Amino acid sequence: MMLDQIPTAYLFFAAAIVLLALPKGPLRAGLLLIVPVIAAWQIWTMPLGMHYAVPLFGFELELMRVDKLARVFGLIFSLAAFLGNLYAWHVRDTVQQVAALLYAGSAIGAVFAGDLITLFFYWEGTAIASVFLIWARRTEGAFHTGMRYLIIQIGSGVILLAGVALVYRDTGSIVFETMTLGSLGTWLIFLSFGIKAAFPLLHNWLQDSYPAATITGTVILSAFTTKLAIYALARGFAGTEILIYIGVVMAVFPIFFAEIENDLRRVLAYSLNNQLGFMVVGIGIGSEMALNGTAAHAFAHILYKALLFMSVGAVMYRTGTSKASELGGLYRTMPKTAMFCLVGAASISAFPLFSGFVTKSIILDEAASGGMFVVWLALVFASAGVLSHSGIKIPFFMFFAHDSGKRPKEAPTHMLLAMGLTAALCIAIGVYPAPLYALLPFEVDFTPYTTSHVVGQLQLLLFALLAFGVLMRTGIHPPEVRAINLDTDWTYRWLLPRIIRKVAAVVSGVWTGTLGFLSRRVGDIIAGLYHSHGPEGRMASVWPTGSMVIWISVLLGATLIVSFFS
Amino acid sequence: MSDSKDNPDTYPALGRMLLWVDKPGSANKIFWALAVVCGLLFLADFAFEKHGYFDVEHLPGFFGAYGFIMFTGLILAAKGLRVLIKRPEDYYGDKAVDREEYPEAELEKVDYDA
Repeated sequence: MMLDQIPTAYLFFAAAIVLLALPKGPLRAGLLLIVPVIAAWQIWTMPLGMHYAVPLFGFELELMRVDKLARVFGLIFSLAAFLGNLYAWHVRDTVQQVAALLYAGSAIGAVFAGDLITLFFYWEGTAIASVFLIWARRTEGAFHTGMRYLIIQIGSGVILLAGVALVYRDTGSIVFETMTLGSLGTWLIFLSFGIKAAFPLLHNWLQDSYPAATITGTVILSAFTTKLAIYALARGFAGTEILIYIGVVMAVFPIFFAEIENDLRRVLAYSLNNQLGFMVVGIGIGSEMALNGTAAHAFAHILYKALLFMSVGAVMYRTGTSKASELGGLYRTMPKTAMFCLVGAASISAFPLFSGFVTKSIILDEAASGGMFVVWLALVFASAGVLSHSGIKIPFFMFFAHDSGKRPKEAPTHMLLAMGLTAALCIAIGVYPAPLYALLPFEVDFTPYTTSHVVGQLQLLLFALLAFGVLMRTGIHPPEVRAINLDTDWTYRWLLPRIIRKVAAVVSGVWTGTLGFLSRRVGDIIAGLYHSHGPEGRMASVWPTGSMVIWISVLLGATLIVSFFS
Repeated sequence: MSDSKDNPDTYPALGRMLLWVDKPGSANKIFWALAVVCGLLFLADFAFEKHGYFDVEHLPGFFGAYGFIMFTGLILAAKGLRVLIKRPEDYYGDKAVDREEYPEAELEKVDYDA
């Protein structure tokens, strides 16, 4: 079969070219749906192993390394591309369509990259393709945000390349396999992965850029970049202890920011960051079950996070805003979107029978069985935190709470379809996790539905919900207000420009001062010479009258001599 | 948008069913129902043998108490954080997405009864 001969990523790249030949409209939108299906089928049927080696300057590039870890990510990326493109059925913007294809293709290509050089190419590919989903908003703010995003993403790629070069010098190998932190090269690769995975203090590109993308662009963005980084960490740094602590901080700190953020798409970006924390902890623990947990959680997370972004996007599509302070009471006229949003909220909060429950509990269980009490406590707290912003805040302040008076029409059919499918998958995974468990990289020995688990989790969530009720009734819960909150982007959006302005003022002061001083000195010299040698000067009185004629004859003589000898 | 024309009878069926939550007293009912469920969940802890890796997990109502306290603490801490980091929307100037309207051409703003 021909299909076996093509790396999956190329299907997407080829489709991007074909797309340009098609007329705008359903044909293009249809192509965007068919490609991920073919890709998923190809990944599903491809036997495990190396499939596509290309020699390049003496290196052997492995474009298609299929193993169980890569396969589960490849499949969920294909599924996410399908759902995202279905949600974007109405979009007629060629830029976004091409970007969506190239972006998904690059992410899938990176997942199947068997060597670090191939990984680098696709790593940068995701950066460059994805920024167009932000720029496609076509406003000045989006342009600036896209620039910041691109600088950071490309920066991550450049650091990766530097790391790869150093690792190659040290080991003579470019194979992408488990590494141990130690040399500068491995640290650089780790840092590069960490930027894309939004490690604490490296995270803010995520919350800065996702709310700036187009409505459909954010849904697509939410699936790939960060989960690619999770895959890369799981592949390269499984069992690296420092990841446990990074992951814990990552799971905990964004929940505070999410709680007070007004833009619901930014709330979801913080929440995304928090979910990545759980996955990073799993990678840090590094046992087979923990890695299973990470892969499973990434799978479930891509779906419910897309679902939540879809529901906020649908509201935005109808009302023009995603700010909690401007919304509320929309369940009246957008009840289906509200229901789908609630499914996403229940899934991310890990209510029993929803997808988050059967995946997150693997990671929590591994942390607990490893005796990491503080880590476990922090993750349980972070689980309650998820409920606060994604579980309650998103659906409550958008669809319930006070009546904003807005009466938008229900989301268009294709959006409802995309949300419905995603919601169905969230529930299906939660109710019957066995097929997902079968896809995981290692043998699964885990029962999510034990009485202890279910009752414990329900207690945690419902008592937290009760606390929310108490805080609302007592008026302690912070209201939604139109404002922004500072984060690390403050350093490069506020501080750095001001430092540069200050430095520029000093430099330009020194420059103009020096220049002024020098030009005054030169002026003085000229004036002095003019004074003594000028027409009115003392020396002028003793000039021979025919000095001009003398000089011309000197020049003429010199010319004659030169031409005589040459 | 919200005007005298706003007629709940024309909402989608599902939306009409959900209108119950905005009836006076409904919020109270939901709250107390939740409180009762929480009480039952607490009692459930005595009904089965708990399996856990840590001693605290065996305390009756541990997860409930932890959830309630940590959630409250989270909200209070977030309120405190807001005092420190809240800024006006135009803090980064007018060329930031927070200050922009989403481009109308990309939207399909329609009222439900349009």
